[in-house]
Amino acid sequence: MRGPGALIEALRQMTVIRAFENGIASLKSKGGYGDIAYAYRGPAHLSIGQEAAAVGAAMALTPEDHIFGSHRSHGEFLAKGLSAIQNLGDNALNTVMESHGGGVLLRAVETRLPAENARGLAENFLLMGLLSEIFMRETGFNGGMGGSMHAFFTPFGAYPNNAIVGASAGIATGAGLWMKSQGRDSIAVSMTGDGSTGCGPVWEALNFAGMAQFERLWESRGFLPVLFFFTNNFYAMGGQTGGETMAWDRLARIGAGLRDDACHAETVDGTNPLAVADAVQRKRRLLLDGRGPAILDVECYRFSGHSTTDVNAYRTKDEIAAWDAIDPIRSYRDSLVTEGILDGAAADAIQTEVDTRMKAVFAAAADPEAAPPVRLGDDGARVGGKMFADSETPPDGGPPEPLADPGKVARIRQNAKKSRGGRDADGEPLSPLRAITLRDGLFEAVLSALLSDPRIMIYGEECREWGGAFGVYRGLSELFPHDRVFNAPISEAAIVATAVGASMEGGRPVIELMYADFIGRAGDELFNQLAKWRAMSNGSLSVPVVVRCSVGSRYGAQHSQDWSGLAAHVPGLKVIYPATPYDAKGLMASALASDDPVIVFESQRLYDQVELFRDAVPNGDYRIPIGAPDIKRVGGDVTVLTVGPALYPALEAARSLETRGVSLEVIDARSLVPFDYGPVLDSVSKTGRLLLVSEACERGGFTMTLSSNITRFAFDALKVPPRTLGSPNWIVPGADLEYGYFPQSPDIEDVILTDLMGDTGHSRKGARRWDDLALARSGL
Amino acid sequence: MARVELKMPELGNEITEAQIDALLKEVGDRVSEGEEIITITTPKVTMDLEAPASGTVVEVFVEEDEIVAVGAVLAVIEA
Repeated sequence: MRGPGALIEALRQMTVIRAFENGIASLKSKGGYGDIAYAYRGPAHLSIGQEAAAVGAAMALTPEDHIFGSHRSHGEFLAKGLSAIQNLGDNALNTVMESHGGGVLLRAVETRLPAENARGLAENFLLMGLLSEIFMRETGFNGGMGGSMHAFFTPFGAYPNNAIVGASAGIATGAGLWMKSQGRDSIAVSMTGDGSTGCGPVWEALNFAGMAQFERLWESRGFLPVLFFFTNNFYAMGGQTGGETMAWDRLARIGAGLRDDACHAETVDGTNPLAVADAVQRKRRLLLDGRGPAILDVECYRFSGHSTTDVNAYRTKDEIAAWDAIDPIRSYRDSLVTEGILDGAAADAIQTEVDTRMKAVFAAAADPEAAPPVRLGDDGARVGGKMFADSETPPDGGPPEPLADPGKVARIRQNAKKSRGGRDADGEPLSPLRAITLRDGLFEAVLSALLSDPRIMIYGEECREWGGAFGVYRGLSELFPHDRVFNAPISEAAIVATAVGASMEGGRPVIELMYADFIGRAGDELFNQLAKWRAMSNGSLSVPVVVRCSVGSRYGAQHSQDWSGLAAHVPGLKVIYPATPYDAKGLMASALASDDPVIVFESQRLYDQVELFRDAVPNGDYRIPIGAPDIKRVGGDVTVLTVGPALYPALEAARSLETRGVSLEVIDARSLVPFDYGPVLDSVSKTGRLLLVSEACERGGFTMTLSSNITRFAFDALKVPPRTLGSPNWIVPGADLEYGYFPQSPDIEDVILTDLMGDTGHSRKGARRWDDLALARSGL
Repeated sequence: MARVELKMPELGNEITEAQIDALLKEVGDRVSEGEEIITITTPKVTMDLEAPASGTVVEVFVEEDEIVAVGAVLAVIEA
C-alpha cells in the first residue's frame, strides 16, 4: 500500500492497537469492557503510547521478515499481522487461516466475526487469535499454551514474543543466521526494550551478529541481517535506564562499542510512525546488503503501567502529561488532518469502526462458546502431550558436495585403519590409537549427518580447526565451509539462543558447550527457551537442537561437574549420556535426526574409551533409540543402574564381587529423558536389590528420581530399600582427591555388601566412611 | 657434521604416546629447518613435526602406523 491510503492505514492500525489494549486494561481494572463482563486473570503488559513504534516498524517489513518480541509486544504483534494482511493476497490469507490449528479459530471467526472480504476476515482472525490466546483459550494462536507474553503467529512473520527480558535478541540473531545461510531475502528483528541493554545475552547477541568471520571467512560475505530494534520507553519496569540503571547516556551509542560503523545506530522519534518506518526501511536495505547488524533506539513512552499492578510510584504526573501532549495517535491524526489527507469526520469514522470491531472481538473471545477454555477433560496429561514432537522430519534434499574427498582427510583415513572393536585377539583392550573410541563414534554420527542433511550446522567454541576442545570434530574443517562448521565466540548464551532461533527457521544446529559447568552461562537459553517453545507453541514450532556438553575431570570445582540432572529436571529437554563408542554413535544419530532438543553429556574421561561390549562399532549408520537403557552385564543378585562413566567402576566392582559369590547385573541408563523403566523393573524383579550410581552430587540428583520411581513401580519385588551412590555434596576437589569424590569401585562394593547384601562384618574399602545422616544435617 | 635428533614431542600432560600417521621424508632427503617431515596423530590432534635443522635425513626409526612413546627419537638429521 502506498500514498494517502497507506498514511491513513497507519492511523487505523495504531487505533486498532490502542483499542485492543484499552480493552484489556479495562478488563483488568473494571472486570469488563463496555457491556462485556469478564475478569481476565492473566498478565497484561500493555504498550499504550508505543503504537507508532510498532506500526512504523511493521510498515517497512514484509511477511517474510520475522519479528521476535518481548513481554510487552501485543502492539508489535498486531502491527506485524496487520501489515502482513495488507501484503498477502486473498488466496494466501485464506490458506493461512484454513491451515491454522485445523480451522478451529477460523470457524469461530466466521461464525462470530464475519467480514465482507478476506482482509476483513483476516483482521478479525488476527484479533481473535491474539485475544483468545491472551485468555488462554482453545482458539488462541498457540492453542492457549502461550498466553499474553508468548503469543505469536509465524505465517504473518510474528515469531515468539518472550517473557524473558532480552531473550529475543539471541533468538532473532539465530533466525538471521539461518536466513543468511540460506540466502533468504529477509531480515530478523529483535524487538526488546531499553531495559534489555542491561542483559548480558543481548550484548552477546549483538557481538554474534557482527562477527568478523561473516564478512571475512564465509563464502557468502556479509553480516547477519538482524535489526536490534530497542523500544526505548525510558523505563525498565520502574528503574529509569538513562540516568539511573544504565551506563549509557543515549541508547544508540552502544553501537559504537561494537563496530566501526557503530551498527548504523540511530535514535528515532518513536512517536511518529513515519519516522520509524523510514528508519526501519533504511536499516533493512543495509541488512539485506550484508552490512548489518543495525541498532535502532526508538524513543517513545508507555502511558500504561509496567503491568496493571503498577501505581506509577517512579514517575510524576507532569512527566506523563508532557508525553500525553505528544500522544502518537493524536499527533499523527492531527498531522494528517492538517496536511489535508484526512478530514475530521473520516478520522472519527475510523475510531468508530475500530471500537465497534473491538467490542465484537472482545465479546467473542470472552464467550466460552466461541472461544472454549482449554480443559483437561479425561486427559490429565494433555499439556504433557505437547512437550515433545517424538518425530523425525527428513530433509528435502541433500547438502552441497563437501570441500574434499572425505577419504583423504587424515582423521577419516586414520579411523579407517582402526579396529572397529575395542579388544585384541587376547581380549585385552586396544589403545585408543588402534581402535574406534567414543570420540570417533560421535564424530562418525556427526559426519554422516553433515554429509546427508543440509540443515545440520555445527558451532561452538573452537569447533573448526581445533575440532572442538576435545577433538571430536577434528577433520571437519577440511570438509565443510564456515556456513556448516564455525567457531563461535565465548558466548554460551548466544550459542544456545542462536541455535533456538535458527531451529525455528528450519535449521538443525548442533552446538557445543565446552564444559557442562558452562550451562550456567546459558541457563535461560537452555531452560526457558530451548525447553519451552515446542509446548508453548502448541506444537507449531520445533526446536531441533543438539547441545553437546563435556563433563570434565581432574579440573576441579568449576570444570568437573556432571549436571545432567539439571537438564533432566527441566521439562522439555531430552537428555542422553552415552558411555561406550557404540552407544555414542547410535544415540548421537538419533539425536541428530530428532525433531526435539537433545542435550548430550559426554565424559571427558571416556573420549578415549574403546568398545568393550559389542564386537564392533558398525561403520555405517545405525540408531539407538533415546530412552532405552542397556544391560551391559547379566547377573542375579543385585541390579546396578549407572549413569554415564559410572558404568566402568560398577563393572570393576562386579568383577571383584564375583570372586565373593555376589553377582551384579549392570544396566547403563544411557538416557535420562525419556527413560524406559521396563528393563530395570524386569531386572529388579529378578534380583530384588538395586543400587544406582552416578557422578553427579547425590542431593536432588537424577538417580534419586530413578530410585524413588523404581521403588514405587517395583515395591513388591524389592528385598531391601534401594541405594543411590553419587558424589558427595561438596565441590569437586583437585585431581589427586577425585578418588574420594567420584564413586569408585570399592565404594560400590562397600554399599552393595553392607546395605544391600546385609554383610554386617564387611570392613569398608572405599573412602566413604562417613555418616550420611550427620552430613545431611550439616548441609553436606 | 652434527647429528640432530627429532623426538616425539611432549603432547600435553595426559598424552604418553602418539601414532605415526605419515613419513613425509625418507633417508637421503634434504630438508630445511622448519620443513615438515613426519605427521603424527593423537586421539585429539593431527600435527606435522618439523625438521629441527637443515641437512640430510640419515636415519628414520619409525614406520607409518607405529605407536611411539613421547620422547622417543624418530629420526636423525645430519646438519
